Formats: sequence, structure tokens, C-alpha cells
Amino acid sequence: MASVERPPGKGFNDQIYDLLFRNYVWQSIFRTGYPNTPRNQMLVVATNVFLHLHPTRIHRTHVKITHTYCLGGLSFFMFLGLTVTGVLLMFYYVPSVERAYADIQALETNVRFGLLLRNLHRWMAHAMIILVLLHMMRVFYTGAYKPPREFNWVVGVVLFILTLLLSFTGYLLPWDQLAFWAITVGTTMVGSAPVLGDESKFLLLGGFEVGTNALIRFYTLHVIGLPLVISIFLAVHFWRVRRDGGLARPL
Amino acid sequence: MVSQAVSAVRARPRREREEEVLVWPDLVFVEFISAVVFSIALMVLSAFINAPLLDRADPNTTPNPSKAPWYFLNLQELLLHMEPAWAGVIVPTIALILLAAIPYWDRAADGQGTWFGTKHAGKITVWSFCIASLITIWLILYDGAKHVEWTEDIIRGTGLNSDFIWPTWLDWARNLRGLDTGINWSDLSFTIGPFTMFEDWRAIPLGIPGTTTDPWLLNLNFPSFLSQQIVPVATMVGLPLLLIGFTKHVLGWIQTRRDIAILIFTGFIAVFIVTTVVGQFFRGQGQELRPPWDIVVVEE
Repeated sequence: MASVERPPGKGFNDQIYDLLFRNYVWQSIFRTGYPNTPRNQMLVVATNVFLHLHPTRIHRTHVKITHTYCLGGLSFFMFLGLTVTGVLLMFYYVPSVERAYADIQALETNVRFGLLLRNLHRWMAHAMIILVLLHMMRVFYTGAYKPPREFNWVVGVVLFILTLLLSFTGYLLPWDQLAFWAITVGTTMVGSAPVLGDESKFLLLGGFEVGTNALIRFYTLHVIGLPLVISIFLAVHFWRVRRDGGLARPL
Repeated sequence: MVSQAVSAVRARPRREREEEVLVWPDLVFVEFISAVVFSIALMVLSAFINAPLLDRADPNTTPNPSKAPWYFLNLQELLLHMEPAWAGVIVPTIALILLAAIPYWDRAADGQGTWFGTKHAGKITVWSFCIASLITIWLILYDGAKHVEWTEDIIRGTGLNSDFIWPTWLDWARNLRGLDTGINWSDLSFTIGPFTMFEDWRAIPLGIPGTTTDPWLLNLNFPSFLSQQIVPVATMVGLPLLLIGFTKHVLGWIQTRRDIAILIFTGFIAVFIVTTVVGQFFRGQGQELRPPWDIVVVEE
């Protein structure tokens, strides 16, 4: 009798794979397996809550690193990283004139990875400002502010201002000489405004000089007020990038 | 018949879809890798370089120099050269408004989506960056009276006159403040109708604060009004206009509004960088110009 060719049975690896990734619980979380067909790859981008910010397809020239240098995405990544490290820092920090400085010292010396945490937050903040500036330059030099993207450029300028304000409000929190005098210099500049200068300065500081009220105000703005505002503008910014057809392309 | 045959031979334009790639994997992986690279780089940076932490804040001990965060040092630099209201508030406000207004002024849709999309864009960018940086450095040196120092050093050094000091009749050319003190303004006073210039230029209700007790009154305080407001503002408005005119009519590189936007935006970036670097690395005690290795912070 001629041998009949039969489909091979499942090997050991396949059985393990099925056990791990084709079970009821796993599939309730991830509805498809690893997307290895174009159809599934588009589906995963379109249906995943984190990925659906993207379109499913994109023009070839726009995935070239040298077109965007990933600057906008990296700015947002810094924002996410700052949120994570910032939340962790909040566990150890009390915004009071009596405690703030001691808390930072304790964070650096008594908390495991505390120094690393603070360093990361600091350098990410600087990196975010530089990345936002570079992103603005990228958008400008590629003419990506032109119609129909005019308003998104304005949103971008607002995001740049909010980034500076977030960094500036965070600058006071360690309550060391660097923080105190930098904020004193900065708020003195605000006070020199021709109209409502002293009023603005008073509003910002909650008094005539940098003290308890200023620390509370800067802290509240830094950890919740400004992040909320910037999140709204970020959402609009990303949404409009999509609505305007992704990145700008030559006509 | 002939024309039909020709059009049949001509290549069909590529469809949009054929120019597209899938976001997963082509874009998502690029994003993922750049995020990983940045995470590692920042981790390494944070492992080796600590965030600064000085002594506990003490309102009674002022560090000299006191500096704002680095991204505001450009404004702090401006503060040294003009009325604080201009440097700290009006100039940045106007700069941000102009920045946001670029797309409403340069409305042509062409030239988007490519780097340096106009014919001369590359040249304009390099030219504008260099000239704006040089002029900004030159202006900072001038207001720091460095030309006075150097002229004195050179003339003394050559042995022509070992006791040479900057002549008093050139005091007005020392720096901006020299316009106040180097010119005898009371000799130049004149009258217009019932008003004696420049004494009667005080107390004009324009809402720009001077040194009067009432902030709603403009205290022209004439010589200082000239050196701290008129000259700096004329410089900030005039030099960009001169740059546009020169680039357009002499170099002939400007054809569209986009070219002007590139010229001015690049100049803005150059000034932003130069003033930030000078503020961060070249300002010592009393905000004097110093080389970076010569800057010591003293607490007073």
C-alpha cells in the first residue's frame, strides 16, 4: 500500500505555546496572537487602545528616521517617563518649607534607588525641553505648519510654553539655594510686567516673596494642574495630526 | 489613434497605497527602539551625573550670580541690556505670539513635507544662523564694554601709550549706559512750545512703568529711556528688518514668505541659543562677562 501523507501532529513546542497563549484567559486579554499577517497588523493598530493613536498605514518617507528624528514622539515619551518618576517622587516628598529639603536629602541617601529616581526626573525634564525645541525646529524646517495644520502649530507653541512652566514649577521643589534663587529671579521678571506685573507675581507666589505659599502653589501646579492642562493640549495635538492626514507631505 | 497608443505606453502613476507601509511593524518598531535607546541613555546619564542639590534655601544669603533655570537665561540676558518690562515680559510675549502666527502669515501650502523646501532655504538657514549669532555676540560684547577693555589693552601693549585709557569724549560709545552718562543731555535741552525737552517728557500716561511712584505714568527719565528702551527695541526690530532687506535685495535669496519665515525663525533660534549659552557659561559675579573657568558663585 502506498503511504498516505498525513498532516504532522502538534509537536511539544506547539503544545506549550497553545497552553500559554491560546487559553481562555490569555485570549480574553489579547484577542489575536502576534500579528504576523498584514491584515492582523492593521487590526492590532486600529483596535489597540495604545496603538490606535496611529493610522494603520503610513507613507514610506515618514518612517525614515531622518524625516522626523522621532522628536515629537520622544517628547511625549519624556512626558510619560516624567509622570512615572514624578509619581514615585511624590511618595517621598512633602511640599512644606520645613520638610522639603530634608525629604530630598533623605530620598537621596535613605531610599533605595532614590538618587537615581531624582536624577532621572531631572534629566528627563531637561531632555523634554530640548526635545520639544528640536521638534519645533523639525516641524518648522519641513514646512509642516502649512495649511491645513496652522492651528496645530499654535497648539504646539502652547505645549512648548506649558513644558517650560512645568519645568519651572518643578525647579522650586527641592527648596535648595539653586531652586530658591532661580525662582526668585524668574518671578521678579514676571513682576516687571507693565500691566498687572505685581499682581501676577503675587498670584504666582501667594505672597510678596518665595515662601510656604509659593511652594504649595508651585507643587500643586507641578503635580496636577499643569499636567492636566498639558494632557488636554497633547490630546488635541495628536488628534489633529491624525485628522490632518498624518505628517505633512509634498503636494 | 496615435495619441491613444502613446498614452497607453506611458507609465501608470503609482497608486498611493503602493507608497505606504504598515504602521505595525515599520513605525511601531522605530518608536519602540527610540524609546529604549532614550531610556538606556537617560539611565546611564542618571547613574553617573547627579542632579544638583545645594544648601537648604536661605532667603538671607544671596548667591552671586543668581541665575534663573537655563531655559530662561536668554530672558535674564536680555534683562542686562534693557528695561525689565521689555526683557522679562514684553519681548517674550511678542516673540511667542509671532511664533504662533507664522502659519497665518506664510499661508502658501507648497513646500511642505520636505526639509528646507525652497530653492535657497539651506543657504538662508546657514547665513541667518551665523550672522544672527555673530551680531548677538557682538552686541553682548559691546554692552559689556569689552571693546573698551581690548582697545586699552592693545594700545598699552604696543607701547604707543602705556597709560592709555578710553577717552572721556568717547564715553558714549562704551556701552548702552554710556548713552546716559557719556552725553551731557542738559546741554542739548530745547523747547517745543511750552515744554522743555527733555525734562517735560516725564509723566506721560502710557502705562509703561519707569521710576515714578505711579506705575501708570511713563517716566521717560530721558537718557535712560533712550538707552534702556528706544535703542534696544529699535535694535530688536531694526536688525531683523535689515537682515530681510539685505538677504532679499543684495543676496537675492528671498522669493517667498516662506524664505522670510526661515530667515527670521533661524535668527530667533540663533539668538535663543547664544543668549542661553552666554547666560549659562559666561556670566559671573554681578553678571559680568567672564570665561567659564573663571566663574565662582559667592554667597553674600
